[in-house]
Amino acid sequence: MRTFLLKRLPSALLVLLLASFLVFLILRLIPGDPATSLAGPDAGPAAVSAIRAQLGLDRPLFGQYLHWLGQLLTGDLGPSYAIGGQVADLITDGLGATAQLTAAALLLVVLIALPLGVLGATARRRPVGAAVRAFTTAVLAVPPFVTGVLLVLLFAVTLGLLPAGGHESLLDAPDLALQYLLLPAVCLALPSAAVLARYLTDGIERALAEDYVRTATAVGVSRRRIVWRHALPNALPSAVTVLGLQIGHLVAGAVLVERIFAWPGLGQLVEQGVLRRDYPVVQDLLLLIVAVYVTVQLLTDLVYAWLDPRIRWE
Amino acid sequence: MTSFPTAPALSRRTLLRGGLAGAGLLSLAACRSAADTAAGQATGDAAGPRRGGVLTVGTGVDFTPALLFAQSANTLVQRLVFNTLTRYDDKLQPQPELATSWQVAADGASVTLKLREDVTFHSGRRFTADDVVFAVKNLQNPARSAQLRSTATAVTDFRKNGDFELTLVLAHPVSNLFDLFEFMIVPDSETVEEAFAGTKLIGTGPYTFTERKPGSSITFARNEKYWNPGRPYLDGVEIRVVPQAESLLSSLKTGQTHLSYSIRGKDIATLRSDPQFRITPYDTGSGAYYIGANLTAEHVSDKRVRQAIAWAVDRERLVEQALGGYGTVSATPWPKSSPAYSAEAAGHYRHDPERARQLLKDAGLTGISLPFAHSNDPGNTAVAQILQYDLKQVGIETVLQPTDSPTMQKQLIAQSMPALWTLSHGFAQLHPATLAVSAYPFNEAKNSSRFSSPAYTDIVQRAWQRPDSDSPEAKALYGRITDVLLDEQFVIDLAIAGLTEVAVGKARGATLNKFGYLNLDDAYLTA
Repeated sequence: MRTFLLKRLPSALLVLLLASFLVFLILRLIPGDPATSLAGPDAGPAAVSAIRAQLGLDRPLFGQYLHWLGQLLTGDLGPSYAIGGQVADLITDGLGATAQLTAAALLLVVLIALPLGVLGATARRRPVGAAVRAFTTAVLAVPPFVTGVLLVLLFAVTLGLLPAGGHESLLDAPDLALQYLLLPAVCLALPSAAVLARYLTDGIERALAEDYVRTATAVGVSRRRIVWRHALPNALPSAVTVLGLQIGHLVAGAVLVERIFAWPGLGQLVEQGVLRRDYPVVQDLLLLIVAVYVTVQLLTDLVYAWLDPRIRWE
Repeated sequence: MTSFPTAPALSRRTLLRGGLAGAGLLSLAACRSAADTAAGQATGDAAGPRRGGVLTVGTGVDFTPALLFAQSANTLVQRLVFNTLTRYDDKLQPQPELATSWQVAADGASVTLKLREDVTFHSGRRFTADDVVFAVKNLQNPARSAQLRSTATAVTDFRKNGDFELTLVLAHPVSNLFDLFEFMIVPDSETVEEAFAGTKLIGTGPYTFTERKPGSSITFARNEKYWNPGRPYLDGVEIRVVPQAESLLSSLKTGQTHLSYSIRGKDIATLRSDPQFRITPYDTGSGAYYIGANLTAEHVSDKRVRQAIAWAVDRERLVEQALGGYGTVSATPWPKSSPAYSAEAAGHYRHDPERARQLLKDAGLTGISLPFAHSNDPGNTAVAQILQYDLKQVGIETVLQPTDSPTMQKQLIAQSMPALWTLSHGFAQLHPATLAVSAYPFNEAKNSSRFSSPAYTDIVQRAWQRPDSDSPEAKALYGRITDVLLDEQFVIDLAIAGLTEVAVGKARGATLNKFGYLNLDDAYLTA
């Protein structure tokens, strides 16, 4: 395994190095630069030149690139240009907030999809089943920015039950934090819950059509027991696969939902970083994403190699 | 046919589940409500100022620490943590703040300031004349991107007379010296770089910086040792960042936010009849909408084409439809409070498509097409589309070029704008010379339009380099600046729309200075 790892590690590092170069270059190719962004609309060329010098943007591009690589290797990501504070702190805080939102949404996906999926399959020919189908179709058809505004209008503006947006620390005020979390998590969870519910409904319906279900019914097993103990467990594996795919959608969807609910996660950080041309924040975040993918790929290769010796010997 | 079982009898398991669910609901009910907590607790009644409470201010744009010493889209922090030397009243007359009195030399070559002696920074260090020297030198640094740097660099020497009296020696008289004193916050010299990075803000102002969560909020607590006796009333202030316009409006409606200056005009219009809100327009901030023309571009190099554009625009419709009625139609940059304001000049260009067509005909042009850049946010896109329609009516086709803010700023500064663009500018709410020496679109030395004229430079420099700003001679010079602007139309002014305060009824006493710095010295929350 060690030999296998030593073979794969250089290529992973090479991918990271190439990715860092591309990320660095692409950001510089976007029109506008941090100095003009920082100088403001009424600034003159002197202010822009001074800011460029202060940020080190007047140095040759390759020198800037090497400086960034040096920062990465020493673990000191340095300060943000425009947002303020240290990049490492910004990413850590943003990551925590996004993870919180995504985890809550994932939990809600399961909690919503499970009863809906079962209800959709067991009450197929009744109004309840039609209502479930209509609900999942509507939730899938309406984009999250509309769902978000509707949720705010109903629960914050009309009923006054939940805050319209914002964030509280789970450690400092857990009761308030949960209330701030609820609306964005629901908004993020609904489309994925609808997808999962439909898969569950299909899976349960297929399982209910199997011979063993007919046999169980014939011997007097209750319908509830058949659904929950036999059909549902058979439908779960494919649903779990779908749920895994939905995690990616949840993370991507968080970017939009964070903006609607003023949730200070990675989505907002990327948006602010790009809009203000905050190179350190954006390039570190993008490289982090690449690093996660490369690491996951490497780990997957290792697991395959562990499971199948032929791969190790290739 | 399979029949579904009937409802089972109440089992222990069901009973347990029901009990747990009930307990959960009871726990939720016993929790604090985030909606109520965010809306703030009542601390007094409407009869007068009351101490206590935390005021929440909503903003669409996060604080940019690197723009602490410049006017930017978010200037809410400056006057909470820091003080300025003087502050303007409604008639643009300076009033004492850290400077208690001042004497401008007869020849305008110096100004002597007497400073408060009872002021300490939040760190406990005493405020002295050295801090004013530092503040001026700080603005002279081009990296601070302070728009009034030209005025700050006119200060060439500092003469201290003790710790609390200081004479600023000027290279030449400047008519907008008190614009600088209104603009220049006095930072703590020992922590200025941390302030510039947004990690530590130490000033002499009414609130001390508590915490910043980038992209989310900034919080402040009352400065118990503030030099203004009995102030501030509030226990603290929270500036909450809500980038989505609809969400910001919702947070005001729910009371989660007490006050905002970032509500769009068309949204304010929907609150006008709601007694829950108080709406106060200011002529401060960067709020004059204009069309810029690149004088090196084809067709618009001809003055008659630029004048045709000025006649073609229906400014009333623009204000009504794009700004929700919150703006003033004007062909000049000056708001009514400006010494340069003239009703006649403001109404010089009206909506007259026939006259515009005639001017184009005189220029020998029919059916021209021009690129037209605009900021890609929804508000500015709406403005650009209205202008595009008006120009089309007189035979000017425009190709809209939505551009993001950093790109547009780079093009503006690099003088590489297309033939036309639309944006907004500030600095007309101050002494008129400030606009022509500090706002880049109008800068006589170098501007985005590539306009230069010895006559314009001469008038601007004469208006700026004089000891007074309100004399008949000064006003005559302002009139001549206006005449050049109206004739040349390298900046085609359309409408003036300053900041508009939207406050829930219980939030009282907030004000803005001429640069949009939020002043909460006298602010309080009623019951």
